[in-house]
Amino acid sequence: MSLLTIQDLTAAEITERARAAGEPEWLVERRQEAWAHFVDAPSPEWRRTDISALDLAKLAPTETAQGTAIQWDETLAAQGVICTSLANAVRTHADLVQKYLDVAVPFQAHKFTALRAALWQDGLFLYVPKNVALDVPLRVIYTLAAGAQAAFPRTLVVLEEGASLTLIEEYTSNDRAEIALAGPSSEIFAGPNSNIRFISAQHWGSKIYHFGAQRVVLERDANAEWTSIALGGQVQHIDAEATLLGNGSRVNWLGATFASDDQILYSGPWLRHAGDNAESFMQFKTVVNDKGYSVFDGMIKIELATKATATRLEEHALHLSPESRNDSIPGLKIDSNDVLRGGHASTSGDVDDMQLFYMQARGINRDEAKRMIVMGFLAPALDTIPVDGLREELTSIIEGKI
Amino acid sequence: MSNDLVIKDLHASIGDTEILKGVNLTIRASTVHAVMGPNGSGKSTLAHIVAGHPGYAVTSGEIWYKDQNILELDADDRSKLGIFLAFQYPVSVPGVTVANFLRAALNAHRAEEGVDPKKTAIPVAEFRKQIREGMKTLEMDEGFARRYLNEGFSGGEKKRLEILQMTMLKPSMAVMDETDSGLDIDALRIVAEGVNRLAGPDMGALVITHYQRLLNYIKPQYVSVMMEGRIVRDGGPELALELEEKGYDWLREELASAA
Repeated sequence: MSLLTIQDLTAAEITERARAAGEPEWLVERRQEAWAHFVDAPSPEWRRTDISALDLAKLAPTETAQGTAIQWDETLAAQGVICTSLANAVRTHADLVQKYLDVAVPFQAHKFTALRAALWQDGLFLYVPKNVALDVPLRVIYTLAAGAQAAFPRTLVVLEEGASLTLIEEYTSNDRAEIALAGPSSEIFAGPNSNIRFISAQHWGSKIYHFGAQRVVLERDANAEWTSIALGGQVQHIDAEATLLGNGSRVNWLGATFASDDQILYSGPWLRHAGDNAESFMQFKTVVNDKGYSVFDGMIKIELATKATATRLEEHALHLSPESRNDSIPGLKIDSNDVLRGGHASTSGDVDDMQLFYMQARGINRDEAKRMIVMGFLAPALDTIPVDGLREELTSIIEGKI
Repeated sequence: MSNDLVIKDLHASIGDTEILKGVNLTIRASTVHAVMGPNGSGKSTLAHIVAGHPGYAVTSGEIWYKDQNILELDADDRSKLGIFLAFQYPVSVPGVTVANFLRAALNAHRAEEGVDPKKTAIPVAEFRKQIREGMKTLEMDEGFARRYLNEGFSGGEKKRLEILQMTMLKPSMAVMDETDSGLDIDALRIVAEGVNRLAGPDMGALVITHYQRLLNYIKPQYVSVMMEGRIVRDGGPELALELEEKGYDWLREELASAA
C-alpha cells in the first residue's frame, strides 16, 4: 500500500482515518480545524534555519501509530499512574486528554504546529496522580520506521499536585538516505508542588528534519529540572518554553548541543515568568565542528504582573573548526517593575591552548586532551542523565563528532 | 643513558622578542638545582620550553634528556620520558574531575605501543589507593578528587594538586616553576615536603624561584642565576644566600663592569 503524500491528503481522508481509529468527535474536529489552518498558513519565516531543501508536499506521513517504545514498570498502575500510547488514551481517558492536548502548544502557532495537530498518530500519555512519586525514570523512545517519511509524535504529561517524575524522551533512528520529517511536541503540565525531571535527547540519524515544540507549564511551587540534548539530524528547529505560571515555581534548565558536518541545529528555549517569586536558571553549552551551525535563540520573558523574579540565562559555545558557526542571541524582555535578579551571558571561543598544554604536560596526547575538554564542557547536561547506558551512548555519539 | 637534563645554547622568542639568548645549563640527575633570577629574566620561559609549550619559537639550541633532543618531542612525549612541569599557574578544566584527569594521565604513562590500552590501564582499586594515599600525605580533603580540575581552587590547593600529580606520575626530572608563589607558610611547608620526599636518587629537580625563601625548605645542591635570558653565574647554596642578602643589583653591576 502506498501512503498518501501531504499534497495528496484531503480533509475527508484525515476524517476517515480518525473515525476508523475510533477517535472521539472533538479530536476529529480538531484535526479538521488544524488541517484547514495548515493549508492556509504560509511557511514560517524562521530566523537562521534554512529549510529550503525540504519538499514538504512530497512527504508521505505515517497513517497509523508506529515506532513508539515505552519502557515502564506496569505495577505503577496500581497507584493510579496512567502510562499508555496517546492513541490509546484518546479512547480510554478522553476527558483528560481533551483537557490538556494542544493547550500548551496551540495548533494555530504556525504551519508546522497545525500540520502536527492534523496528522499526529503516535505518542505517550502519562498521568501521575496526586502525591505519587515515581522513583524510577520513565523512558520513551521515538523512532522513524525504515519507510516512514514524516511522523508527529507527541508527549503529553500531567502531574497532579505533589507528584514527582523523571521522564526521558529520546528521538533516534538509523541514518537515512532521503530527507524525512519529525514534527514532535511535548506538553508537560506540572501541578502545584510537583517535581519533574525532563530529559529530552535528540540523536536522530542523518537527513532527519526535526521541527519540535516543547512546553513545561509549572503551577505554584512546582519544580522542573530540564535537560535538552541535541546531537543528530540534518536540521533541528525546536522552540521550547518553561512557563513559570505559578508563584514560587522553579526551573533549572541545562542544554548540550553539538552540530558537526553540515548540520543546522536551532534551539529557541524560553523562560517565561508569569508567577511571583519564581526562580529560573538556564545554561546551554554548544559545540560546533566541521561546517556545523548552531543557533541559540534563548529568551527570558518576565510578564508585567509578576513580583520578585530571579532568573539567569547563559550560553557558552566552543568552536572546533574555523568553518563552524554558532549564533548566540540571548534575550531578556522585562515588563515587570519588580524583579529581584535578571541577567544573561554568552561566551564563545576555541579549545584553550593552555588547557591542551597543561594536559599534554601530564602525558595525555592532544586528541585525548581535546576529547576530555569537550566532554568536560558538556558535562553539566550529560551528568543529569540518570541512565548509564543512555549517557554512554550519547557520549560515544559526541566523541564521534569531535 | 644520561638522565642529566642538558640545555645547550638555547635561544627562544615570542613574536619578535627574544627572551632566551643562549642558555647553557645542566641539571644533573638526582640533584636539586635552583635557578634564581629577577622578574623578566626568562626563568618561566625556560621552564615552559623544557616541558614543550608550543607558544614559543625556539630559534636555536638543544635540550638533551635520556639521549634525545627533546625539542623534537611533543609535550605529552616529554612527560612520558619522565619530565614533569609543576606549573606556576595551573590551568582549570571545567567538567573534568581531578580523579578522571589523574587516571587519564597515569594510563597515558602506562600505555604501550601496540597494546590494548585496557590491558595497561591502572586497576580501579590500585588507582583509588594511590590517590587516597597521595591526598592524605598532602593534607587534602577526600572530596578533592571529585572536584573539577583547578576550577575555583585556592592558590594552595592548586599547588598541592601539582605535587599530587608529581607524586603519582613519578617523574625522573621535575621542573618547579615558582612553586612558592601565592603560598602561605603552611602550604609552602606541605608543598616543599612533597618535593623533598621525591627528590633524590629517583628524581632530579630544576627549581625556579625569584626568592631565597623557598630554598629554606627545598635545599639545592646547585644554584644558577639567570638574567636577561642567560645563565650568568653558577654556584652552590651559598650563592642563593648571597643574593638574598645583596639583591640582584649587585650581580648586575658586577657583570656590567666585567663586560
